[in-house]
Amino acid sequence: MTPLRGWVRQARRDIGLSTVAGVGLLLYLVFLVAPVLLSLVTSFTNQNILFPNSSFVGLANYRMMLHDSQLHASIEFTLALAVTVTIVANVAGLLFAILLNRTSLSYRVLRTLAFLPQVISGIIVGFVWSWILSPTGLVNHILTGTGLVSQPVNWLGTPQLAMLSAGIVVSWVLSGFTTVVYLAALQTIPRELYDASSIDGANSRQQFRLITLRMVAPATTISVVISLITVLKLYDILIALTGGGPAYSTRSIAMYIISVGFSDDAYGYASAIAMALLALTAILALSVTTVLRRREVDL
Amino acid sequence: MITQRRGTSLSGPGPAVPPRPVRKAPRALRRPARLALALLVILAFVSPIYLTVVNAFKTSAAITSSPASLPTHPTLRNLSAALSQPGHVLQLGLRNSLIVVVCSVALLIPLGSAFSFWISRKRTRTRAVIMAVFAAGLMIPPQITVLPIIKILGHIGLDHTYPGLILSNIGGGYLSFAVFVYVGFMRSIPAEVIEAARIDGAGSLRIWWKIIMPLVRPATATVGIFLSLWIWNDFLNPLLIIGPTTGQTVTVGLYDSVSSQVQPDYGLQFGFMFLAALIPVVGYLLAQKQFRAGLTAGSSR
Repeated sequence: MTPLRGWVRQARRDIGLSTVAGVGLLLYLVFLVAPVLLSLVTSFTNQNILFPNSSFVGLANYRMMLHDSQLHASIEFTLALAVTVTIVANVAGLLFAILLNRTSLSYRVLRTLAFLPQVISGIIVGFVWSWILSPTGLVNHILTGTGLVSQPVNWLGTPQLAMLSAGIVVSWVLSGFTTVVYLAALQTIPRELYDASSIDGANSRQQFRLITLRMVAPATTISVVISLITVLKLYDILIALTGGGPAYSTRSIAMYIISVGFSDDAYGYASAIAMALLALTAILALSVTTVLRRREVDL
Repeated sequence: MITQRRGTSLSGPGPAVPPRPVRKAPRALRRPARLALALLVILAFVSPIYLTVVNAFKTSAAITSSPASLPTHPTLRNLSAALSQPGHVLQLGLRNSLIVVVCSVALLIPLGSAFSFWISRKRTRTRAVIMAVFAAGLMIPPQITVLPIIKILGHIGLDHTYPGLILSNIGGGYLSFAVFVYVGFMRSIPAEVIEAARIDGAGSLRIWWKIIMPLVRPATATVGIFLSLWIWNDFLNPLLIIGPTTGQTVTVGLYDSVSSQVQPDYGLQFGFMFLAALIPVVGYLLAQKQFRAGLTAGSSR
């Protein structure tokens, strides 16, 4: 058989699969790769839905970002939220996972429950918590009922408290996810490691540091990076919880992009901010991955 | 520590592990305490979900006066109020969300898995390049793609339509996720399985459907469960791609309905939220076995 005939036969055999795979690739190119490239091109224009003509303006949109104090506020808030929530949710998730890492039925039920915050939509999460934290909600009911405060605390009414509340709510949602990731990782640790180390006289703190933390290191990398990315593009929980307020104190970058692009119709500028968000996400995700991967080896 | 271990192993036959009567007693005592702690922590953790359920069956006055109690005089008024919203936002939303989830996932699973099988048999360099492009898709925020997607859909006449939303779901970051899960699983399938089928004269499409798909069933469960949840709960894409005029998915309908209330009607809100969350929560509880199997299988990779 000549090589060409072999290749033709091979191609004929593969044609069905190649077609299906090709459809997938084509859709991905049209609905993900092309939009990113279009966004990049648009970010160099003054495109605005109110004006039919648009022209290239070079780096003007990017220069505008340097002097946009509203953007700076939303970047600061988003970064602070991302860092805090990532730490809180991963510590809580690991502790929950250790607590729940038992096989009896009651623990299995609790494990099922722990993921529930991830099952309901961010809009519902935001609305339920906005009631819990409202002046007539559960938290103030408890605080005033026990006499801890005389006047209801307006948790979502002042910038500082609203930012704190956002941190608590987003950590709550993500902890459901991190718990499941760490539980899956804990289940891969062989029981013998703990048995052997307790024969060696290791106490539970040493076991935690030398076995548990090391063995869940790869899961930590995944969990931390996904937590970061999730918070960096966060939109739905915040729009339902605070709407970005008060005084735009809890407006994420993602919310700012939508408000610039859709309320102000400034597509060009919105695209430039979107590209900056993409760059920020990529840099943070890659550098955190690199650091944590190195730590996986060192541990 | 090391000497102690040597001591036990050198002692020859007999119990290698010295009995630890001192430690066993507190361990046994600790068991109920641990369960109590776990119960307390997790029940506190999921209390917002408990609140959503109980308050859906209370009057607005009862929600404010006794927010955490079980409904003493359960009422169905909130649920019927949610179901009789102007334009039947809730029923239409549930129907639209179901259509979007079922169509998107039913297409994402075969496309994602066939693509993964195809790419896992390519030469390493082609594979590395394409996989890098797909990895990037996992972290691209929808805010970046949604504006151009609406324009692209406009060019093919599908803007503000459900087929348009479904198409953009299939081609977007969800496909990245499906490909990543499937490629991870397919790596563990021995090449001999595929070779044997090939010698029998089976085409690639047939091998994929008849041999590969049954082998990667845990991956299909993971992909199906996660994508269904994410697409059902998605807010931004339906909000902007469908737009305000055509009738919305349930998440957007809930947001519109609650955010348009001048004075918050908490009874109605909880009734709406309870009914909107029912399908994903019940679905998740029913799919427990697959959910756990998929996670443990995925983590060992």
